[in-house]
Amino acid sequence: MLSIVKSMALNGLEGYLVDVQVDVSAGMPSWEIVGLPDISVKEAKERVKTAIKNSGYELLSRKIIINLAPANTRKEGSLFDLPIAIGILIDLEVICKKDISNIAFIGELSLDGKLNKVNGILPMCIEAKRLGIKKVIVPKENAKEAAVVKGLKIIGVDNLVETVEYLNNKIDIEPENVDLDKLFQEVNKYNLDFSEVKGQEHIKRALEVVAAGGHNCLLIGNPRFAEKQ
Amino acid sequence: MFANWKSTVRGKTMMARRIPSILPDLSFEEALETTKIHSIAGILPKNQPIITTRPFRSPHHTVSGTSLVGGGRIPKPGEISLAHYGVLFLDELPEFKKDALEVMRGPLEDGLVTISRVNATLTYPCDFIFVASMNPCPCGFYGSKEKECTCSPQAITKYMGKISGPLLDRIDIQIEVSPVKYQKLSDDDEIENSEKIKERVNKARRIQLKRYQNENIYSNSELTPKLIEKYCELNENSKKILQIAFEKLGLSARAYGRILKVARTIADLDGKENILEEHITEAIQYRSLDKKYWKN
Repeated sequence: MLSIVKSMALNGLEGYLVDVQVDVSAGMPSWEIVGLPDISVKEAKERVKTAIKNSGYELLSRKIIINLAPANTRKEGSLFDLPIAIGILIDLEVICKKDISNIAFIGELSLDGKLNKVNGILPMCIEAKRLGIKKVIVPKENAKEAAVVKGLKIIGVDNLVETVEYLNNKIDIEPENVDLDKLFQEVNKYNLDFSEVKGQEHIKRALEVVAAGGHNCLLIGNPRFAEKQ
Repeated sequence: MFANWKSTVRGKTMMARRIPSILPDLSFEEALETTKIHSIAGILPKNQPIITTRPFRSPHHTVSGTSLVGGGRIPKPGEISLAHYGVLFLDELPEFKKDALEVMRGPLEDGLVTISRVNATLTYPCDFIFVASMNPCPCGFYGSKEKECTCSPQAITKYMGKISGPLLDRIDIQIEVSPVKYQKLSDDDEIENSEKIKERVNKARRIQLKRYQNENIYSNSELTPKLIEKYCELNENSKKILQIAFEKLGLSARAYGRILKVARTIADLDGKENILEEHITEAIQYRSLDKKYWKN
């Protein structure tokens, strides 16, 4: 049986969509990942296998083929662990949700099934929104960062079991919400101030010019020896 | 007295660290772009989903060219991109590896860096204010009135020579940092805080944004030679002052453009439409170290 799970990847500053296609069939037990995976993606095999087992699901010996489409760009990172695991669990009919084409999955699995945070969540979510994806399931630790993108339902999950139960409608998880205005007001403070600097008025003036025009500047001299006078 | 010393901050580093406090606040779009870069690099602070203050990056001088401009098998953003919309501070500039500094030259001018590797060619933005600090010579006392310099002329030339001319040419403002008199430090006069300075900076920036709305640039530092001609006109007196300064200080042709740009900024801070004599004089001061330290 074939299942297709949506995920995202990074190309520089921009995210792009990756279809994680998982096929589980009877045959000689084997496990293959194609679609130009680098080592960290290939290692997903061991992480996903163990995480599924340790989450209490049975992973029978099957022939598993995973394709990361578009297959001609190089993929790196551990963020495909979650979509791969979800794809397998759909094939094994652990997850009974049929339509997941509106959901993207991003996350790294640890051996006990817990989800670890990954890098680059923000650009990936921006692209997901642009592509019309409605919901993104991310590791709990990344949820706030992802929620900066408005108009996208961000579901932060702790582990694989939680994700499965959420998809099976056994539990409900509130979408993460971030109040940007409040955040900007609270954090928009720089904790150093020129009022702490005594004297050196001409330098302060020069730095004012630097700031006002965006100029590059070079400070020459050695004022450390002021105390020796 | 001692407590006073402790609470008193001196030095080039302490000054540089405070520059973001007088820069205009990040807009939401700028914050998002900076956050994207930090997100990819995986250095977003915990519990802070978006970066709301201008970044201040100060890599140690052992930094390699790759980690400065970015790189790797699939290229990751380097320090210059992490400083996007903020400040990149290089303390003790001559101690940096020469090749590391040289690779930074292009991006410094362009505001973006393109890295090509076998697997991918990527472009990261790096629009930052470059701030560097250095001693005038290895012992630190060259040109000082307090203590004699013990360095040989060769040692000084070698030290200063580590900064290449082209890199130096990209620096608009040179500031001489001199020791502070003891009385001055213990003085309890009220000191202006960053908020007030920032107000003036914001005002000057608004003038620039308005003036350059059709030019596709945002600040005086981005002026091209053609635009300098258009926006930095001098009156007769100022021209004369500049001419004398050139003869006396032996400035290069590139310095000419730099001085005009800085004079434009000073005039904007002053709220003046035209560049006046006092503006050009102050701008020349920020260039006067060329002759003192780089004698060619």
